[in-house]
Amino acid sequence: MFRKTHPLQSRSEIVLRDIVVIAMVIFFTVFLIVPIGIAFVGSFHEWNPLSGTYNFLGLENYKEVFTSALFGKSMINTVIFSVVVIIFRVGLGLGIACAINSALIKCKSLYRAIYYMPVVTPMVAVAFVWKFMYNPQIGTINQIFGLDVNWLMNPKTALLAVMIMTIWKDFGYAVVMFMAGLLSLPADAMEAAKVDGASSWQTFRYVTLPLLKPMTLFVVITSIISYIQAYVQILIMTEGGPGTATYLASYIIYDEAFVKYNFGYASALSFVLFVITAVFTWLSFRVSGKQD
Amino acid sequence: MKKKMFAAMMAAVLAVTGLTGCGSSASEQKAQDQAQADVPTEPFGDAVKYDPSVAINDGKDITVELWEWGSDDLFQKVIDGYTAIHPNVTIKLVNNPWEDYWTKLPLALDGEKGPAIFNVHNSYHENLINYMAPLDIPLEDLQADFTGVDAHVIDGNVYYIDYGMMTGSVYYNKAMWEAAGLTENDIPKTWDEFREVAKKLTIKDGDKLVQAGLNFNDDFHQNYLLGLNYQMGENLFKEDGKTPNIDSDAMKKTMQMLVDMYEVDGVGSKDFGEKGADSFGQGQSAMVIQWGHYYNTLKTTWSNIDFGVFEIPTFDGNPYAYNRYNGESTFGVNKNAPADQQAVAQDFVKYFLANDEAQVEFNLAMSTFPAKKSLASNEKILENPSLKVLAEHIDHYIWPGPMPSTVETSLKKAGQDVFFNGVDIDSAFAEAQANIEKDMKNSSFVSVENLYAYAE
Amino acid sequence: MKRKISTIALNIFLLALGVITVYPFIWMLCSSFKQNGEIMALEQHLLPQNFTLENFSNMNAHFNFVRFFGNSILITVVVTVLVMYTSTLCGYVLSKYKFKGRNLLFGFVLSTMMIPWCVTIIPKYSMIQSFGWMDSYKALIIPAMFSGFGIFMMKQHISELPDEILEAARMDGANEFYIFHCIIFPMAKNGIASIAIFQFLWTWEDFLWPYLVINSQEKQLLAVGLKMFNGQYSTDYGALFAATAISILPVLLIYLFFQKQFIAGIAASAVKG
Repeated sequence: MFRKTHPLQSRSEIVLRDIVVIAMVIFFTVFLIVPIGIAFVGSFHEWNPLSGTYNFLGLENYKEVFTSALFGKSMINTVIFSVVVIIFRVGLGLGIACAINSALIKCKSLYRAIYYMPVVTPMVAVAFVWKFMYNPQIGTINQIFGLDVNWLMNPKTALLAVMIMTIWKDFGYAVVMFMAGLLSLPADAMEAAKVDGASSWQTFRYVTLPLLKPMTLFVVITSIISYIQAYVQILIMTEGGPGTATYLASYIIYDEAFVKYNFGYASALSFVLFVITAVFTWLSFRVSGKQD
Repeated sequence: MKKKMFAAMMAAVLAVTGLTGCGSSASEQKAQDQAQADVPTEPFGDAVKYDPSVAINDGKDITVELWEWGSDDLFQKVIDGYTAIHPNVTIKLVNNPWEDYWTKLPLALDGEKGPAIFNVHNSYHENLINYMAPLDIPLEDLQADFTGVDAHVIDGNVYYIDYGMMTGSVYYNKAMWEAAGLTENDIPKTWDEFREVAKKLTIKDGDKLVQAGLNFNDDFHQNYLLGLNYQMGENLFKEDGKTPNIDSDAMKKTMQMLVDMYEVDGVGSKDFGEKGADSFGQGQSAMVIQWGHYYNTLKTTWSNIDFGVFEIPTFDGNPYAYNRYNGESTFGVNKNAPADQQAVAQDFVKYFLANDEAQVEFNLAMSTFPAKKSLASNEKILENPSLKVLAEHIDHYIWPGPMPSTVETSLKKAGQDVFFNGVDIDSAFAEAQANIEKDMKNSSFVSVENLYAYAE
Repeated sequence: MKRKISTIALNIFLLALGVITVYPFIWMLCSSFKQNGEIMALEQHLLPQNFTLENFSNMNAHFNFVRFFGNSILITVVVTVLVMYTSTLCGYVLSKYKFKGRNLLFGFVLSTMMIPWCVTIIPKYSMIQSFGWMDSYKALIIPAMFSGFGIFMMKQHISELPDEILEAARMDGANEFYIFHCIIFPMAKNGIASIAIFQFLWTWEDFLWPYLVINSQEKQLLAVGLKMFNGQYSTDYGALFAATAISILPVLLIYLFFQKQFIAGIAASAVKG
């Protein structure tokens, strides 16, 4: 086809292309590749910028990562946290987007705006509000449901409580994403389903859902990336407690890097986490690819 | 005479701060002129003397930064007093909130544009000490004026000292105390008596706790575990000063007592109130053990609680030491700052140490007991009940040195494990011991518990 | 009849969910008119019992709210506009120009999205320090000029635009700069709007980076300010909630204004995966 092979025609195209490509390469080299390189080298060192230590350790940091019981536990927590939150985020998002989108609902943009509110609110503030709501004596949640649960200090409920808060904060993002997805569905496919006499469930299951797959994948992947990096809610709501019951991997990294200033160990943790993120992202691509 | 001069000086300072508020340069100029007329010209101070007649930076204009995390007014007042003497000096106050401060200060000091003067907290000693210049004041003078200086000597140099000492006391709700039929005479001296009183102050509706006699939720590690060991004559660190002594009998005995108070005596519950300090303020708990800063919290946030304070109980009335204390530190001088800025910083620290009025104000603001010996019986200090109860035995408190924060956080985890995760005391402390040892592997910390005046 | 029941049921469901979503905000807003003692009091009432504006008027005790707010707006607008522009530009070049290494470059841009903040933030910090950019807005703006996510979105979006228009413009002798600014830009406006909303939100909310690189109070941003209510011994909740209530307003307004374009933009970029 012509457009596939069209040669560079004008000088201005070459100039624009060169400027853009060079700018991108320089930018990403300076602000991504170089820092990654520094961090990677640093992860083999005992690196504390405060005491000025920078001693070669070899694989010591990585050995510590893989033998650390706390990191193991926090990885399990991170996986539980991410999987549960993502399932609810995607499920709620999809369900609500379809509900709002259905012909039965008026004031669509009002709902859309309301559900999006938590998304635009800083996590720091939201976490404090929920910490109050979870308070065993004066918290709204116990008062409304007549419960007597020490949500954030009970090892059985602490992570759950943080997950509920996170789902509350983030499901609106998925709602808006899926609404956008629904908006872009080809009208003829829906028409065809209708003509074929498909029930609304069948239309949803066999037409809408498959067509929304790229959007679902997009939401899942951006969620994996952001949840594996989540730490602010832990920092404010539980500080990893009770004991170490709610440690997440990113919280350890934050703690090691900016509380204990173990940059070397924190870098090693970061790389391990990076690899895990990449693996999960790749897996979700694979899983979605297999279904085709 | 000295007092009078200070009164005049502080009045001048107030005039400056009051007027600069309007922001008009004309009135600022006027205030400055006026202040210049009243600034001290004679040397003042005890052993550490400050001579206002010595020009700074040869009288040339200079600007330095002072970083702090606390109340701007408090610092600004001292700065204004100082710049009234040296109008050529401008001290720019930079406030960072507590948490951010400790993330940013060390990183800023590592660069070239770090502040010449910065507020210090000894819990971050290790992060700061490499950037600090020794104080340009003879050691003997500091020792003559202040208690606890020895603990701050490193290779013959002093980088900062304490201006005040903070520790824990028992705060009790007077209304509840009376309602339980207790009087002044019932103020407990020993832990056994204390537990009895706590029982009397507890109110239950069936099994449900209505009023806790005692609440130590969220602060047991700071206010009990790290301190009561001294009553039993055990230090927090072993003989070498480096190995933590957390997995110890004293520590376990304290923890057992805490567990018993909740679970045997039933005077409180781990789920009753997220924080003891808040629960006391909410009028749900009758007693808490809190450190001096709590006095200010009660005054500001919980102003409707009528409270009294008494000294921390002991096991046998004759403790090795009553409790741990911690110092509020004087400012640090950035050793990487340009020489002229450092000179100003050194001079400013000396001014702060010699200035009794500033010392009293800082101690009252933080609810700390003055480290400056001449202020131990200062009227204003003794008006504060949380300081008054400390006056008698203030020399029987131990500072272990600037413990790395892992000691506190690991003990908090250990306690949470015991109370919430069903871990037994022995394994919880064994784990805390291991964690602290690991985190302190490269630490330069050495305990100064052996410098305690009555050390055995 | 059945339709009516499901309409009602669906509305009730969405409304209930709406209440759950909004309740914490109402609680926060009400609390911003309470004193700390009342926020933590045992007797909880949603509405303030002793209505006070102190939290709003006292905000300056923690930081210069107006100043921080203004700084945040400035930085967020600058970064957002830059990212909108660079994303569209890169998206255009990556989708409409054919050249060697294009897919490699795009794949690389994609993979940048996967790198956790924690990997790069430490070295980036020391680099900024050695560039002498500390405490300068350069440190906030320059490292944020290009966004992998933005480029990805715009590439997807622009590749959906028909080539014929571009060809026609080229035939008419338009140069590439004209084509980009006067044809691509208006045509990609939905995509650009969605980038704008994402980027605005991220820049507005990000606190770790500005809090590391900006020291002066005159230059500090609002998101960092929200952390300043944590004191050495206590947190000033009332002031925190008051400041938060005000700080989410701009983002909410931006979203409300551009809602339609936002959704249309996402619809046109991401779904085509």
